[in-house]
Amino acid sequence: MKKHIKGLVSLALCGAMATGMFTGCGASAKGKGSNGKVELTLFTGKIETIDSMNDIIDDFNASQDRIKVTQEYQKDASSVIKVKFAANEAPDIMTTYEQEYADSGKYMDLSGQKQWWDRLNPEMKDMCTDVGTGKQYRVCTNTTNAGFFYNKEILKSVGYDKFPETYDEFHDMLTKIKDKGITPWFIFGSEAWHLGHLIEFIPHGYIKQKYGTIDAKKAMLDNDKDKLQYGDPNGAMATFAKNLVQLKDEGLINKDVLTATSDNCVQDFVNGKTAMLSNGMWVLSSLQEADPKIASKIGFAAYPSYMEDMKPVVLNAEDSGYCISANTKHKKECIEFLNYLFKAKNQKKYCEAAGSPSAFKDVDAKWAPENIVKQVKDVTENSVNIGYTNEKPAGFSGDDAGRLVQNLLDGQYSPEKFAKEYEDAWNAGIK
Amino acid sequence: MRSKKIGLHTFMAVPAFVLYGLFFIYPLCKGIGMSFTNWDGLHPAQFVGLQNFLDFFHDKRALHDVITTVVFAAGSATLLNVVGLIYALLMNSKFKGKSFARMCIYMPAIISPLIMGYIWYLLLQPQRGFVYHMMLRMGKEAMFPNWLGSFGSVMLTLVLVNVWQYAGMTMVVYLAGLQSIPVELYESAKIDGANGRQCFKYVTMPLLGTSIRINIVTNIIGSLSVFDIIMSLTGGGPGYQTESLSIYIMRMCYGSKTGYSTAVAMILFIIILVPVLISMRLTRQKGDD
Repeated sequence: MKKHIKGLVSLALCGAMATGMFTGCGASAKGKGSNGKVELTLFTGKIETIDSMNDIIDDFNASQDRIKVTQEYQKDASSVIKVKFAANEAPDIMTTYEQEYADSGKYMDLSGQKQWWDRLNPEMKDMCTDVGTGKQYRVCTNTTNAGFFYNKEILKSVGYDKFPETYDEFHDMLTKIKDKGITPWFIFGSEAWHLGHLIEFIPHGYIKQKYGTIDAKKAMLDNDKDKLQYGDPNGAMATFAKNLVQLKDEGLINKDVLTATSDNCVQDFVNGKTAMLSNGMWVLSSLQEADPKIASKIGFAAYPSYMEDMKPVVLNAEDSGYCISANTKHKKECIEFLNYLFKAKNQKKYCEAAGSPSAFKDVDAKWAPENIVKQVKDVTENSVNIGYTNEKPAGFSGDDAGRLVQNLLDGQYSPEKFAKEYEDAWNAGIK
Repeated sequence: MRSKKIGLHTFMAVPAFVLYGLFFIYPLCKGIGMSFTNWDGLHPAQFVGLQNFLDFFHDKRALHDVITTVVFAAGSATLLNVVGLIYALLMNSKFKGKSFARMCIYMPAIISPLIMGYIWYLLLQPQRGFVYHMMLRMGKEAMFPNWLGSFGSVMLTLVLVNVWQYAGMTMVVYLAGLQSIPVELYESAKIDGANGRQCFKYVTMPLLGTSIRINIVTNIIGSLSVFDIIMSLTGGGPGYQTESLSIYIMRMCYGSKTGYSTAVAMILFIIILVPVLISMRLTRQKGDD
C-alpha cells in the first residue's frame, strides 16, 4: 500500500512538473482578456517617458471599460522587436520604426487618419511619409534636433559670440580653445552609435542638403551611386574623414576618444573641461541632471559647412513615432487609444517629460529652459534642416557605421580607405 | 518488481528528457535547417543550399573574428589551466588563512562576467580609470599603459580578466583531483627517494588526468564561445578588432542575416568540437576505453 502511495505521489509530482514546464509555452492570450476587455500592448524603447506614458495610459484605462492598454518597455527595443516580428508576436502599437518592416508590410497604413495629420506640422508629416509608397505608417508626436551643444562662456573667452559657419573658422576656434588648456570637442567614441550619428548628421547631411531630404532618401533607398558617391576620394565622406583625422592629430578632440563614454562627456562638459559636444536634444536632461545651473551656459549650433557648396546643417527630425501592427485584430481600439494619447493636454505632459518639442501645431509645452528653446528656434530657422535616414540598408546599421569611424580614429584606415570601406559596407548591407 | 521500478524511474526522468529535447535538440535541429536558408526574420525563408557556408570563407570580418576568438581561447584556456593548477597546489598545502584565500580566488567566478567587464573598464579606462588616477597621484601617469588601446594590449587584458575571473573554478576541479590522490603514494615515492618535483611529475600529474581533461575541455569550450566579457569590456572594438565569433553571430542575427548567422553558429560548433576532440584524445588514459 505504501509503495502504491509513493508511486502515486511520484506520478503526481511528475505530472505537475511537466504541466508547469508547458504553462508558459502556449500562445499569449492576446486580444480579449478574462474581464472581457480588449487588451492592447504599447511597445517602446523610450526610457525617459515611461512614467508619464504610464500616467496617460492609466487615465485612458480609467476613462472607459472596453480597452486595457499596457506599456512594455525594452532597453534594446530595436532588437527585441525583430524577435517579436519573427515569432509573429508583434505588439499592437509600437514606437520602433524601420524601413525594412515598412517594406515587409508589418505596419498598418495610417494615411487616412486625417484627425492627426491635420494637426501635425507639415514638415513632420513629410518626415513620416514612406518615400517608396508615399503612405504614412507612423505618426510622430515630437520633433528633435541635433547639433553642437557648446559652453557659451568658454567660446566668449576665446572671442566668439557666434558659432562658426565654415569648417576653417571652426578649426581656428578649436585651436584657440585648445590653447586655453580646454578640450575643444568631446567625442565619446567608445559608443559606436555616437560616431554613427556624426556620419548621419555631417556627410549624410551634405547629401540631404545637396539633393533635398526626400530625393536624398530616395537615392539612399535605391542605392543611387551617382548621387551618394560615398567612395569618392574627394567626396563628402572622405572629406569628413580627413577633417576628423586632422582634428585628432592636432589634439582638438579628446585624447581618449576611443574609450570615452557619454557619461564622461556629460561630466567634462558640466565641469568646464570641454567646450562642446555633438548630440541630440535628449542630452539636455543629462546635462541638467549633472548640473542644474548649466542651462544658462548652454549654446546650440548647427554643424558648420565643410564642403564648398554647403551651408550649416541641423537635424530637425521626427521623434516618438507610433505605428500600429498590420496584424493586430484591434485596429479600431488602437486608433481610439492613439486619439486619446494625442490629445493636446496629454501631449503637453509627454513633451515636458521627454524634453522635446511637440510636432502638433496645437500643443504648447515648456520642454526646455527658455534660452535653449529660443536658440533651437534660431538655429533651425537659419540653417538647412535635415531629417533622419531611415532608408539605410537593413544589414548596415548606424552602429556599424560608427565602428568604421572607430577604425579610422584608431589609424586602421586612411580617409580614402574609410570612404571606400563605407561604400562597400553600405552596398553589402543592401539585400 | 524490478521492471516496475525501472518503469517508474524512467518515467521520472521524462521531464528532464523533455526539457533537453525542447531546449537543446529541437533548437539544434531547427538551427541546422535554418543554416541552409536565407531567412532574415521577416520574410519566408528560402533554401540556399551551402551558400551561407561558402560565404563565410569570403567574409573578411568573420575570418578576422575567428582569429580573435582562437587567440583569446589559446591564451585563456592555457593560462586558466596553469593558474588554476598553481592555485590548487597552494590550496592543497597547509597554511593559515587558507579558507579565506580560497574564497577570494573563487569569488570572481560567481559575479556576472558582464559586470566584471564593466568593473575592469572603470579600473583601466585611459585618462579616467581608477588605476590611472592612482598613478596620477604618484606622479607616474606617463607610465600608465593604454590597456584598451591596441589589438595586442586589449587581447591581453581580455585574457587576464577572464583568467582572473574563472581560475577559481578551474582550481576547484584540480583541488578535487589532488585530494583524491592517496597520501600513501607520496609516502612510498619519498621512501623511494623522490624529491618534490619528481613526486609532482610522476605521482600528481598522472593521477590528475581526469581533472586535466575536464578543465581543458571546459576551458576550451568556454573560451571559444566567449561573449559577455568582450561585450562589456570592449564591445568588440575598436571597430571590430576584438569581436568574437559569438558576438558576430548575434550581430548578424539582428542584422537581418538570421540564416547566415546560424550557419556561422554551426561553423563555431565545429571550431569548438575539433580542439575538444583533439585534447580528449591527447589526454586519454589507459583503461578509458
